[in-house]
Amino acid sequence: MLSKSKRFKSTTLLMAVVLMMSLVLAACGGNNGNEGSSSSPSGSPSASPSASPSATDSASPSASPSASPSESSGVDVSKLEPYEIKVLWEGPAQKDFPAVEAAINEYLKPKINATVKLSTLDWGQYNDKMPLLIAGRSPMDVVFTAQWNGHANNVAKGGFLALNDPKGPAGNLLEQYGQDIIKTLDPAFLEGAKINGFNYGVPTNKELAAQGGVLYRTDIAEELGLTEQLKNVKTVADLEPILKTVKEKKGSAIIPLFLKDGETFNTHYMIQHDYLGDTTIDGLVRKDGEDSKVISRFEDPAYMDQLKLTRKFFEEGLINKDAATTTLGTQDAMKKGNVFMITSSMKPGKDAEFANAVALPGKIGQINLGPRTVSTGETAGSMLGISSTSKDPARAMMFINLLHSDKYLNNLINFGIEGKHYVKVSDNVIKPGPNSADYNPGVAWELGNQFLNYTFETEAPDKWDQFKIFNEGAHKSPALGFTFDVEPVKSQAAILINVGKQYAAALETGSIDPAKAQEWYDKEKKNGLDKVLAEKQKQLDAFLASKK
Amino acid sequence: MEQAAQPNQAVLSETGKRQKQNVGYWRKYGVFYLMMAPALIVLLVNNYLPMIGSIIAFKNVNYQTGVFNSPWVGWDNFSYLFSTTDAWNITRNTIIYNVVFITLNLIIGVSLALMFNSMRSRKLAKFHQTMMFLPYFLSWVIITYLVYGFLNPEIGLLNKTILPWFGSDTMIDWYTDPKYWPFILPIVNTWKGIGYYAVFYLAAIIGIDKEYYEAATIDGASKWRQIWSITVPLIRPVIIVLTMLQIGRIFYSDFGLFYQVTRNAGSLYDTTLVIDTYVYQGLVVTGDFGMSSAAGLYQAVVGFVLVFVSNLIIRRISREDALF
Amino acid sequence: MATIAAAKKEKSVMDISKPANFAINVFFWIYTAICIIPLILVLVVSFTDEKTVLLNGYSLFPSKLSLSAYDFLLNDWLNVVRSYGISILVTVVGTIVSLTVMALFAYPISRRDFKHRGLFSFIMVFTILYNAGLVPFYMMYTQYLHLQNSILALMIPYIVQAFFVLVMRTFFSNSIPTELIESAKIDGAGEWRIFAQIVLPLSLPVLASVGLLCTLNYWNDWWLSMLFINDNIHINIQYRMYKALQDLQFLSSNSTAYAAILAQNPNFQLPSETVRMAMAVVGIGPIVFAYPFFQRYFIQGLTVGAVKG
Repeated sequence: MLSKSKRFKSTTLLMAVVLMMSLVLAACGGNNGNEGSSSSPSGSPSASPSASPSATDSASPSASPSASPSESSGVDVSKLEPYEIKVLWEGPAQKDFPAVEAAINEYLKPKINATVKLSTLDWGQYNDKMPLLIAGRSPMDVVFTAQWNGHANNVAKGGFLALNDPKGPAGNLLEQYGQDIIKTLDPAFLEGAKINGFNYGVPTNKELAAQGGVLYRTDIAEELGLTEQLKNVKTVADLEPILKTVKEKKGSAIIPLFLKDGETFNTHYMIQHDYLGDTTIDGLVRKDGEDSKVISRFEDPAYMDQLKLTRKFFEEGLINKDAATTTLGTQDAMKKGNVFMITSSMKPGKDAEFANAVALPGKIGQINLGPRTVSTGETAGSMLGISSTSKDPARAMMFINLLHSDKYLNNLINFGIEGKHYVKVSDNVIKPGPNSADYNPGVAWELGNQFLNYTFETEAPDKWDQFKIFNEGAHKSPALGFTFDVEPVKSQAAILINVGKQYAAALETGSIDPAKAQEWYDKEKKNGLDKVLAEKQKQLDAFLASKK
Repeated sequence: MEQAAQPNQAVLSETGKRQKQNVGYWRKYGVFYLMMAPALIVLLVNNYLPMIGSIIAFKNVNYQTGVFNSPWVGWDNFSYLFSTTDAWNITRNTIIYNVVFITLNLIIGVSLALMFNSMRSRKLAKFHQTMMFLPYFLSWVIITYLVYGFLNPEIGLLNKTILPWFGSDTMIDWYTDPKYWPFILPIVNTWKGIGYYAVFYLAAIIGIDKEYYEAATIDGASKWRQIWSITVPLIRPVIIVLTMLQIGRIFYSDFGLFYQVTRNAGSLYDTTLVIDTYVYQGLVVTGDFGMSSAAGLYQAVVGFVLVFVSNLIIRRISREDALF
Repeated sequence: MATIAAAKKEKSVMDISKPANFAINVFFWIYTAICIIPLILVLVVSFTDEKTVLLNGYSLFPSKLSLSAYDFLLNDWLNVVRSYGISILVTVVGTIVSLTVMALFAYPISRRDFKHRGLFSFIMVFTILYNAGLVPFYMMYTQYLHLQNSILALMIPYIVQAFFVLVMRTFFSNSIPTELIESAKIDGAGEWRIFAQIVLPLSLPVLASVGLLCTLNYWNDWWLSMLFINDNIHINIQYRMYKALQDLQFLSSNSTAYAAILAQNPNFQLPSETVRMAMAVVGIGPIVFAYPFFQRYFIQGLTVGAVKG
């Protein structure tokens, strides 16, 4: 009896504690609400157009739609309040950020009366941390984003502002403050990077087309007399006799072909698959075709044939044995010196660039295989977005616009201060300066317009012209501009990804019998493949219909 | 413990009048609540308030509109955990590995502790103990590289050096054949963590009063008998606490062990895919916190029920051993 | 003669037979080898020439040695030193605060005459059993407490560890004689004084051992730095090392990013096999060396702390 009454009392106390906690919580919740509407511009959607960047009425879209007479500087600087733009990109942090910030600020103040605060998320950090920064409503302005690091998800979670939505809280930013971007950027970029009809990031102006191919050691080819043969390679099958010769003459000292998960003949850039978003969710259209019917990878005969061919290579001992599980990058593999050939996505001058990277200058050759194509993956492969927590999205867009059009600013942020971090060899050619180790972000492909970049003296001086030629005449994927929204079928997608991991690496590197592909296909079907395909088709059809 | 307290309580509540007792109680024990306040505040911030956030398991969150204003989606976020054909597989793997780990931590941990305790040289015992603790300091990333150093099919220590010693020259492909991993994973896990558990058990054993053993020796009990009838029963509370805490986490698994050490090799999934790695994999692409919260809720509820039930059973058997 | 006498003197009821002792000794030498050889391997690989590792795999007797891994790390020595500083500060302050707060909680729930001790023990245990998950926790710290980029965010989350509180509670209730507390009360001492002048001094062993476990927790943590420190400069040593390893893993598994980086910066170098091991050495080195010194108290504290639940 006594113990019963005791327990009763404990229960009452527990209830009291719970009650207290919920009160505290309610207080917190209320507090949250206030905070949201007062400080964050997009806290309550209904109030935002008028309440948002209150600090900058002059620049706010509703107040002055026609405030930009001269397009390059964009706006009347004298009417702008000072503002600090928080810039965040992906890559290693730089020691000399303060010095470069100071130089940028000095240049930026007369232009758009803004200063910058530069910061980065390291390579391995971005995917873990960006969703948290978005969830935590961290203040950011200009943020690097890309299709391969979760752009679509982050947009779905409300992380980024629509840049060309005239009805959006910030108006059509691109139209108002991004005229230089519209003028210089190939329209395919903006068209291709859209989500539900709007751009949530400004693509970097760089190579647009994608092409697959192989890189090989020219010195070994020469030694074995294979050079002529390599020149005549047109298909993957043509490689077989060459690799066999390498195997016969070099034995175990040289791995004829190094493959790994995501670097095989079945990888999207080689096999021309447009997965309409993440490449691990089945359901694709062929980039080099015209058909917009969404099919499973197993319904593409080219994919199945390639699996068999790769398997043949593997069984003949032409491929490294640990291909299915190795985490060694193809570049590191090449650096070891015992690899003859790898697969790679191609662009002009890839061979020379790669040769430098693996410390084998002049000893790498490149063979392009298959057509040049463009899909959403390429156009949205590198973008600058504006965070939905930005207090002045207009200014952020002005800054992006300058990165795309202002040669001085672009090179300053990418290469640092002249004489310190780099030295000019000629007008557009540079070499590392005395302090180059303190500022060398190496992420020019993330920031603005690559065609404005200086080239290093080790590179071809006409690099950017070659790029322009490469971009011209590439075949456009029938689904260009479409990105799949995984939300309606996210459960099935989460399951299919797990199923895929079980087979993809082993099958595509030839490590297991292609007959296993049937098992994979069956398992996908049992786990909702049809639903995913149907959803992809439905969204794609709606997209194509809206385009007409 | 509870029993011991009751007579005291009884005396108090029977003598004083209720009101008077309450005033006396607060004067006497009020200061205790003050002492506990800092820790309670920390718990509130770290644990209890965030629990409200578990509602995102039932929401489709858009952070621009805020968690509380996002739409409810019912059980949608849970469905990917149960609708996969692998559901049985991952649940089985998770539970069986954990049961194996708990058992190994218990049996090997206690055995090692007993052996340390019976070593004649204290100095040596201490030295070995220190060494045994060292793997605990290594991160899973480093252990992954070490394991790969052993199991690499071409240049690994096992295939290249150790197996040939035993006259076997077959190259075993460790990372494509799932049948080896039910052994490899427990070995690696035990190697890394056993020092931690053994030390707790050892501490408990050292604390046992020597008189028990003296009496037993006089009665002519053998060493084995002494272990079974003195040592083990006396360290039972420690065993129960450590084991119960592990049972509470039976639906969780060490991500580093299952994701990194296996190099997330797909062909091993039959024996290596567990709930945590399965969830992680799907979320890398869908990036949905609602789904990860759903998984966390599911894991916690199962663990909680299990601990609650086992605590109840323990209470039935022996009240003072119960955790709460 | 002398040795026999000595042996006799030392012999107690606990002693086992010589052959058994010998067997146990042999077993432990083997087990110690199994534990320590991989660590030595880490050390040796960190001093090995990169190419040798790539071609021949890990070896205890490499054909070529090199210091380049440490060269690479110390390139950045100012940051490494700063990170060590942060690690040490967080570990020392965190451990002291943590011990104080936990002892203050453990003492009341160890008192048998305190009627709500079951309830408060449960409030403690429940935090082990249910965990709200990362996002709510993260939002609490960033949106409500605004502790982003603050060193407090590296300490507060680990201040109260339910398991340690339970260990302390057990120690207090078993090793502090109730009579001592009673007589102090009769002498007119308040609970605060009893706690500070009787309980704490008698509890040094458990404070030392829980203190060591706290130290390990704080020292080995990289996760909080990852979550809360955005500038990549004021991060602790573990995270500095961990981050480099993550970059490596990420880049070797994400060919898109890797290709893109290489395209722009062909001279980009990934930390290599040997650098990874050197990082492990830099990260765990100090604590491994400190551990044996702590360990003396460690066992002693848990000793009494764990017995008789």
